[in-house]
Amino acid sequence: MADGKNQSLFKDKPVKVLLAKPGIDGHDRGMFVLARAFRDAGMDVLYAGLLPTPEEVVDTAVNEDVDVIALSLLNGAHMVVFKKVADLMKKRGITDIAVVGGGTIPDSDKPKLEKIGVSGNYGPGTRLSIIIDHVRERAAEARKKKMGSE
Amino acid sequence: MENDLYSDRALDLLKGIYPSTGHAHVVGITGPPGVGKSTLIGSIVPLLMEEGKKVAVIAIDASSPFSKGSILGNRIRMQESLTKHSVYMRSLSTRGLNGGLSFSALGTVKILDAAGYDTIILETVGAGQSDLDIMRLAGTVTVILAPGLGDEIQAIKAGLMEIAHIFAVNKSDRDGAFQAIKDVQDILMTSMQGDWKIPVVGTSTVTGEGLRELVAQMERHASFVPSVKDRGSVLKNELSLIVESELMKMFYRSMENDRGVTDIVGEVSDGSMDPFTGSRRIISAISEKINSSATTLP
Repeated sequence: MADGKNQSLFKDKPVKVLLAKPGIDGHDRGMFVLARAFRDAGMDVLYAGLLPTPEEVVDTAVNEDVDVIALSLLNGAHMVVFKKVADLMKKRGITDIAVVGGGTIPDSDKPKLEKIGVSGNYGPGTRLSIIIDHVRERAAEARKKKMGSE
Repeated sequence: MENDLYSDRALDLLKGIYPSTGHAHVVGITGPPGVGKSTLIGSIVPLLMEEGKKVAVIAIDASSPFSKGSILGNRIRMQESLTKHSVYMRSLSTRGLNGGLSFSALGTVKILDAAGYDTIILETVGAGQSDLDIMRLAGTVTVILAPGLGDEIQAIKAGLMEIAHIFAVNKSDRDGAFQAIKDVQDILMTSMQGDWKIPVVGTSTVTGEGLRELVAQMERHASFVPSVKDRGSVLKNELSLIVESELMKMFYRSMENDRGVTDIVGEVSDGSMDPFTGSRRIISAISEKINSSATTLP
């Protein structure tokens, strides 16, 4: 019970997560699986729809005041597109929203993504519970920053 | 604001901005699932913006009663329109049975109102008492229906007929639209109406039919001068929503932290006290607490 200043508020507010596939990639079956899994884990889930731009993703995240942006790409463009999202966040000074990634990401890219703040980067076949735990963990970090800034 | 039910900070904030509110036109959009409420909002937003209005959208989605989680799907249906016109949109979830949603919605509306939005669109799935409560926050309530609902119209009229100012029969490009419009008109013909005669508009987001008329009717209703009595009932409704959520807040707080109350809950759940006696005791325990804290208020 060390998180945040207002315990009851922290506890009662569910994690809010935005799922997005920015870039040219229409393979959203995985997103639907995740959306359902996050919902069943008690989260408020938003899905950005097909083919949003990185700008749309960041705008939506800010307007909806989400805790976590969960990005997924299966088309190999993650180094460009995830970075674009991270750069936009940085440019706009957003520090209280965490970014996690997933998709077909080679192991060699993972440290580079971590470096720009995109964590997780789970591939196909990862257990849902691992992903959920990671999102919760990052959400708690983001929430702490939100509470601190108020 | 959303979820800030348990925070006094939210109340202080709202108290502070209250003098700057009251300018926005709040349009409620409600109706059964699948009639195209979100898509319709996406289509009328540009028309409102064309007239130079600053528009915001608040959409409420049901959360799972088991996990309390939710999939907030309304946004996808209007994303294109939101992006193109840089409209502010916020999704709220109903958060199970914990109540207080009306209060989050009220707070969000007030903040957007104070922020200078001219039109605030409030979307709910038209089911249940809490939805009706939320719709009471809206100055203009629009009920959306679709062809093929059949007897559902009968069911809806019980709750929604009384609060609707405008009816829209969406998907009017489909078979049976004419019949549906006529059904609603028939129901309206036999119900009591005040000075405002409730219009029924056929709309289609595919052909664009009726969208302008719908917007025109919303604006006509906005300028329909509300009587002093109406204004009073709006304020009274706001007050009762706030009092209700405050009481709810106290109750849930006590359920968790208050020894006296948790003891009663324990006794009821192990069967040694009946729930009616239990609720009386809890209410008197909470009122005692209110009395003792009232002396410390300024």
